[in-house]
Amino acid sequence: MSKIGNAIYEIHYMDTLAERDQWVNRIHPLVKFVLTIGYIMTVVSFQKYDVIGLAGMVVYPIAVFMLSELSFWDSIRRLRLVLPLVCFVGILNPFFDKNQVLIAGIQMSAGVLSMLTLIMKGVFSVLASYLLIATTSVEKLCYAFRLLHIPKAVVTQFMLTYRYITVLLGEANRITQAYALRAPNQKGVHFKVWGSLAGQLLLRSMDRAEDVYESMLLRGYQGDYRYMQERIALRWQDAVYFVFWAGLIVLFRLCPVIFLIGSLTGGIFA
Amino acid sequence: MSHIHIDVENVSFAYEKGKEILADVSFHASEKDSIGLIGANGVGKSTLLKLLVGLNLDFEGSVRVMDIPVEKRTLPQIRARIGYVFQDSDSQLFMSTAYEDIAFAPRNYGLPEDEVQKRVEQALQMTGIEYLKNKQIYKMSGGEKKLVSIATILSMTPDIILMDEPSIALDPRNRRNLIRILNSFEHLKIIASHDLDMILDTCERTILMAGGRIICDGKTEDILSDKKLLEENGLELPLCMQGRASV
Repeated sequence: MSKIGNAIYEIHYMDTLAERDQWVNRIHPLVKFVLTIGYIMTVVSFQKYDVIGLAGMVVYPIAVFMLSELSFWDSIRRLRLVLPLVCFVGILNPFFDKNQVLIAGIQMSAGVLSMLTLIMKGVFSVLASYLLIATTSVEKLCYAFRLLHIPKAVVTQFMLTYRYITVLLGEANRITQAYALRAPNQKGVHFKVWGSLAGQLLLRSMDRAEDVYESMLLRGYQGDYRYMQERIALRWQDAVYFVFWAGLIVLFRLCPVIFLIGSLTGGIFA
Repeated sequence: MSHIHIDVENVSFAYEKGKEILADVSFHASEKDSIGLIGANGVGKSTLLKLLVGLNLDFEGSVRVMDIPVEKRTLPQIRARIGYVFQDSDSQLFMSTAYEDIAFAPRNYGLPEDEVQKRVEQALQMTGIEYLKNKQIYKMSGGEKKLVSIATILSMTPDIILMDEPSIALDPRNRRNLIRILNSFEHLKIIASHDLDMILDTCERTILMAGGRIICDGKTEDILSDKKLLEENGLELPLCMQGRASV
C-alpha cells in the first residue's frame, strides 16, 4: 500500500476501533474527554525533576489499555511518527542543565532527569489522547464538545475537517497512483510536476468538498447537526469510572505513591 | 393540476458567459410521472437536475416545484420534498456508517430518535441492505455505496426523486433491485441515465436532450425504439432492442 493509502487506512482503522463494543467504548464520551484533559493537565504539572511522582501516572494509560483490550505494541507502532518527535523535545536538556541531583540515593545529571520527565510527559499525553480517540468516535466526541457548550460552528468544523481529511487523502492517492502508473521508473513525483499536481489536488478536493456540502444541504443541513441521538444518558458506571479515575489521578499528583510503596516494601526508593 | 409537480419554463443556464449548458428548456412533470432523462455525455442532464433542487440558481427562466419558485429563500422548503441521488456516491456519503448517513436527513429535520430509527430501518428494508446497517462506508463496494446513497434519500420520504446515473457501479442483481425500488416509488421521479434498458424498465416518459436543449419529449417506448433519432443524438438503441448481430 502507498504511504497515502496507509494514512487513509490508519484513519479508518481508528474509526473501527472507536466503534467496537467494549466496556470503555461505552463510557460516556464527556467523562472520557474530561478525564483525558484532566490527566494531561496533571501530567504536565509535575516538577521537571519529579520523575518518580510522574512515573505513577503511567497507571492510567496501562489500565485503559487493558480495559479497552487495545494492543499496546500495535498502538506504539501507530504512534511511531509522533513519539520520536515527543522524545526529541527534551534532547538538549542534558547539555544545558549540568547540575547534579540525588534521586533514590543515586547521583544523577539534572539535565538527564528533566529530559526524562519531558519525554514521559509527552508520551503519557500522547497515549492518553490516543486512548480517547481509539475508544470514542468523532461523533461522540463532538457530542461531548456540545455538552461543554463549545460553539456549534467550531464543533461542526472539527467534525467535517476530520471527515474531509480522508476525502483529501483519497484524491491525493488517486493522483499519485495515476502518476506512478505512467512513470514506472521514477521514485516519487518529479519536482517539475509538483505545481500542477498540487493544483489538481486543490481543485479536485475543492470540487469534492462542494459536492459533499451540496449533499448535506439537500438533506436538510442548515448549520446545525445532532451528532448523536438526542441524549446519551449518564449511567452510574460512568459516574463510578469518573470518580475512580479522578480520585486516583489527584492521589498520584498529591502523594508520591510509588515512593511510598517503595518505602513500605523497602525497595530501591527507600 | 396535481399536488406534486414540477414546472420548468424557458430555462437557460451557463457556468461561463457565452457557453450555454442549457438553452430554453421547458417541460412539465406531474405527480405520477416517471421520466427518463437521456442524452449523450455533456448535454446538460446533471445540470438540469441540479437546477431543480437549486444547486445552481443563476439560471434564466422559471423553475417551480409544487408551485414554489426555486430561489434562495425557498430552498429548505423545496429540498425537504425532493430526494436527490448524486452520480458519485462518494460525494453523497460522508458519515462513518450507513446508519449514521441514512439518519442524517431525518435528524436534520428534527425527528425524534425513535422515528429516525424507524425511517432508517424502513429505508434499509426498501433497498434490501439491512445487512449494511452498521457497516462503515469506506469498507463498502461501489454497488453497496450506491444502494446506501439511495437509502439516504428514501429515509427523507420524499415526494419527488431525482437520480443521476443511479445504475452506475451496480452489478446485474443490484441493478434489478434498483429497478424494483424505482418501480415501487409511486410519486414523481426523474432519472438521468445512459442505461437505456433501465429507463425502459422504469420510466413511462422520456426526455431526450442534445446540446442543452430538449430534442424530444414523449413515451419511452416510442423514443427508445427510434434508432435514427437516438443515433442522431449520440445514443444507440437499448441493448434489449439490439439484435446480437448488431452488437
